[in-house]
Amino acid sequence: MDIRFSPEEQHFRAECRDWLHDNVTGQRRPMDAAAAIDFDKAWQRRLFDAGWAGINWPKEYGGRGLSIVQQVIWLEEYARAHAPWIGANFVGINHGGPTLILNASEAQKEYHLPRILRGEAIWCQGFSEPGAGSDLAGIRTHARIEGNELVVNGTKIWTSFAHVADWQELVVRTEEGSQRHKGLSWVICPMHAPGIEVRPIRKMSGQVEFAQVFYDDVRVPLDNVVGGLGNGWKVAMSTLSFERGTGFIADQVKQSQEVEELLERARSSGAIKDERIAEQLIQLRAEVAALRAMTYRNISEVVRTGQPGPEASVIRLFTSELGQRLERMALLLAGEEVLDFRYGDDDLVADYLRGFAATIAGGTAQIQRDIIAERLLGLPKSR
Amino acid sequence: MDLTTDTEQLALLTATADWCRDNMPLDQARARPAGLWAELEAMGWTAMTAPDMGLTHATEALVFAELGRHLAPVGLIATAVAARWSEHPGKTALALLDSHAVGGRVRVYDPAGADRALGLAGHLVATTPLPSDLGGAPGLDPSAPLAHLDPAPPFTALGDPRAGLHLQLLTAAFALGCADAARDMAADYAKVREQFDRPIGWFQALKHICADMAVRSAVARSQLYYAAAALDAGDAEAAFHAAAAMRLADQAAIENGRANIQVHGGIGMTDEAYPHMCLKRAHLLSFVAPARRDIILGEAA
Repeated sequence: MDIRFSPEEQHFRAECRDWLHDNVTGQRRPMDAAAAIDFDKAWQRRLFDAGWAGINWPKEYGGRGLSIVQQVIWLEEYARAHAPWIGANFVGINHGGPTLILNASEAQKEYHLPRILRGEAIWCQGFSEPGAGSDLAGIRTHARIEGNELVVNGTKIWTSFAHVADWQELVVRTEEGSQRHKGLSWVICPMHAPGIEVRPIRKMSGQVEFAQVFYDDVRVPLDNVVGGLGNGWKVAMSTLSFERGTGFIADQVKQSQEVEELLERARSSGAIKDERIAEQLIQLRAEVAALRAMTYRNISEVVRTGQPGPEASVIRLFTSELGQRLERMALLLAGEEVLDFRYGDDDLVADYLRGFAATIAGGTAQIQRDIIAERLLGLPKSR
Repeated sequence: MDLTTDTEQLALLTATADWCRDNMPLDQARARPAGLWAELEAMGWTAMTAPDMGLTHATEALVFAELGRHLAPVGLIATAVAARWSEHPGKTALALLDSHAVGGRVRVYDPAGADRALGLAGHLVATTPLPSDLGGAPGLDPSAPLAHLDPAPPFTALGDPRAGLHLQLLTAAFALGCADAARDMAADYAKVREQFDRPIGWFQALKHICADMAVRSAVARSQLYYAAAALDAGDAEAAFHAAAAMRLADQAAIENGRANIQVHGGIGMTDEAYPHMCLKRAHLLSFVAPARRDIILGEAA
């Protein structure tokens, strides 16, 4: 065990810091949806041009081919520099891309991965349905095969960035009459195809960041199936394993930054003299340190064995709940100021309201606890 | 940067776990055989980081978490710190100085066969010679023989402030072991105890109690590893990381201790069953080297 970074890694950190220092302008992501997407794409392109996109993605698809440790160093420096949120590129960079790297054909990888890295293609997720939330295997959106095409009918919901996405990681039932985890396929669905209708849904934070998507005889080439027909569950699980493994490193790193800012705010306002606030800040600072240690442990496990350790599912749950505790602390420190919040504001109140997603999206905290109890402790499956 | 256990550490850990299972099972923690201490010494656990053994704090913390899981004698903590920072041979008992009054009492754990005791006096680790006939009987923790020195004798501080971090680290490792023991005891029971014609661990209400125990243990374990490696690396933030590890390990031990009793239901409340042993040990450990708020908040002078 060693917490020290190698001279090479330290050098890499300095490079990251220098570039971010020169290139992060402090310009905020616009609130207007269309402007925000342009902003996200332009920023992603700048990252790509400077060699900071896909740091640990394979070189042949536009990545840097470096280690996951360097990816973490980049994210730490990124958070420290207050660089822009990844925004609409989240799904492509953190879900779609890594899933393609693991499961896709050569042609699929060659086409899609560089476009994701360059910020040219926005991706969205298509897993949840109105009747298939925590019980994801209850998926009913289906596709029949006609010649060399799939014809998709049904609906998906809670789809972030659906209104601006070019592609969707869509899980559909491709075997008629199949049950549960069987007969599903993971498909790259073109979001501009005829028959797709996107109905945006406003969140309680005021933002329109997700939507319900309807499919009416949407034609998708069979070539867009990833990992083979009928293997959709397996491919989808590999997508989710990023969430439980390394997909949320950016959030974990950001939390270290946030707790220091909260502490600073509490000191300058004098709120830290309040015993209850001091006690909570002590707890948060210790927990954030532990989260970093867990992240490092998980990363070094990936370096050593090629996959996250069994405790990766714990990290996912802990990160999401710790993030909410930080948002609630920020709210507490702000006092009655929060009452002036209006839709359109992008501030700590918006973060607090948006933060409820952390323990719902990508597997609720309750499902995460089931997983931990069943896989880590071996308790009987209740589903 | 690497926070995984290497093959040597894994081998040592397996050997420790095997030995503990055969020679120091948790269910005999109330009445340890008189010869146990000599065996612990022979295994090398009393002086792992002493200059002539020279193992890392990280390796020692791993092993101590395993020993703590079996409710090993708490004198191991004090003896290991003494071996590292004062090169004192033989057994050292663990002292808890009364934090309130000058001239208050001192609690001494595991005094049998120890010629001195070691504990935190203010912010520094300090020692005092012990009378040879001190005896000791269980207090709250039935697995830790306790004697009192009243009034408190003078203590002599060890020079190196890192001794305090070492004491905190090993206490945190013991607390983590305690948290792990409670977690595993609860999970094992939830798999076999049946109600409504199925194991109680099938029900989410119970499952989630167990999952939270696993989370607390995993969080505390990671921070313990980081803190141990920070002490090994001479990191400037080592004191912060040790304090954070102590706080999280204490919480894990106490909360898991309580949850384990809840999962066990009626039998969990009895003297006969073992859940209370973990909880009581957790309470004892929480007084040995508590995390200081000024250090966690980065305000220490």
